Amino acid sequence: MKKEISVLMDGELFEDEADVLLDRIKRDPAARKDWEMYHLVGDVLRQPEHIHCGLCERVRKRIQDEPTVLAPRGHAVKQRVRAFALSAAASLLAVGVVAWMSLQISPEPAPQMAMQQTAIRPVNLQIRSNSSDYLMAHQEFSPSTDMNGGASYIRTVSYSLREK
Amino acid sequence: MRLRPTLCETLLSGLLLIAVNAFAGEDQDSLDWLRVAVFASHQTDYSGVFVYQYGNRVEISRITHIVEPDSEYEKLESLDGPKHEIIRHHGQIWRYSNQQLEQVDSIQGRNRFPALLPEQLSALRANYRIKETGVERVAGYNAQIILFQPMDNLRYTHKIWVHTDSGLLLKAAVLGDRNQLVEQYAFTQLIIGGDIDRLWVKLIASSVNSLPALPKSEQGASVGLSGVPMPVEIPKGGMPVNSGWMVSALPAGFKKTMEVQRPMRGRHAPVTQLVFSDGLSAISVFIEPSDGDEDDVEGLSCRGAVNLYHKVVDGNLFTVVGEVPPRTVMQVLDSVRYNAN
Repeated sequence: MKKEISVLMDGELFEDEADVLLDRIKRDPAARKDWEMYHLVGDVLRQPEHIHCGLCERVRKRIQDEPTVLAPRGHAVKQRVRAFALSAAASLLAVGVVAWMSLQISPEPAPQMAMQQTAIRPVNLQIRSNSSDYLMAHQEFSPSTDMNGGASYIRTVSYSLREK
Repeated sequence: MRLRPTLCETLLSGLLLIAVNAFAGEDQDSLDWLRVAVFASHQTDYSGVFVYQYGNRVEISRITHIVEPDSEYEKLESLDGPKHEIIRHHGQIWRYSNQQLEQVDSIQGRNRFPALLPEQLSALRANYRIKETGVERVAGYNAQIILFQPMDNLRYTHKIWVHTDSGLLLKAAVLGDRNQLVEQYAFTQLIIGGDIDRLWVKLIASSVNSLPALPKSEQGASVGLSGVPMPVEIPKGGMPVNSGWMVSALPAGFKKTMEVQRPMRGRHAPVTQLVFSDGLSAISVFIEPSDGDEDDVEGLSCRGAVNLYHKVVDGNLFTVVGEVPPRTVMQVLDSVRYNAN
């Protein structure tokens, strides 16, 4: 379910599949929670300055409390330190978020793979009745016929049974 | 100090050479297995029951192959469902059902042993990673397993089990990009040589000679399988032609092995068929004038490893059939062009 929601949010579902999934999300509170959580994760990743957890502030304070390795000299350096502190905080945060996300997502196989598989799929699994003639005409020249002889003609036999 | 990298390089390149040679040798041996399999399938008397598996379906059939001085005779019978047989002899194919023998295809101008050509073998080496992956028992016989992994995603992975004594193919699997099974044949019981029932060969030989080549419309058995009456003036076999049709987007290593103009059941005009092969699978391109049939709408269908894609472009119906993934038959169809020269 989580994988499907993630795929849906990436815009990789077909329209009919998306409709079905959205209906399920509406009905299932757990799925709805996942849906909200994934959006939160997405928002956090896109706009880290809007998080209200005070993590930035705390990291900054800890860094200020540490003995400064770079000898502070004048205003410019102080600003650089602050920038450093901020970026350090941001990366820590990013690591945290990524770690948290991977905990949420990683047990599932990558959804893109699943999508690639369905992207090209035969429209109808049942071959049209008169196509059997094309298969028959092809089979005679296929190396598979050379290797396993008439056994490969099974491809043309069995659906002609269904054809009648 | 400076010597060391040189020494390392020499050693490394030496090792690489050995590795490459080893690989080439292995390729050679594996291809020998393939050659043996092709030869054995034509030259051996055998009879056995095999399972054909594709998607979530399983079908069981019996195959009997007899080599007579004049040619090979082959009979394929379904063991599930309604009784149904296909008989092959000398490029001609008959279907036997409801006590009636009916010719369904006839192709002449085909070599009796169209074994692998040298250029097909080199194409195989260039487009597949070929390796022997061990010995396994199939239907009570020891079989060498050979794996053909494609270098691109335009063809399937093939895995074959070749009987170590006779060279007969005991099992064959076709796998997709993620190693999922696309289709599989496997013998469950097999008799090689010896006492195999030959009575049917005589029956076939006599009835085949007394049968008209293709049934004519007036004779009752004239209705094609798809219920379409057969045109009376249908000629036999195929005529080699140079049709002017070209395919520009074939996967690497696919070479043209055939170009004929042939009659097809239920079709009013002769059909041009081009066949391309990379030594392990083939792609057929059929071109014919579209008769405006509503069945001719664009579509992709498949059966086991065979994919079929058809489409009408500028009044012509194109049909591409091959043991290749759907993307390949589509790519091939979209690259068919007419070159008048």
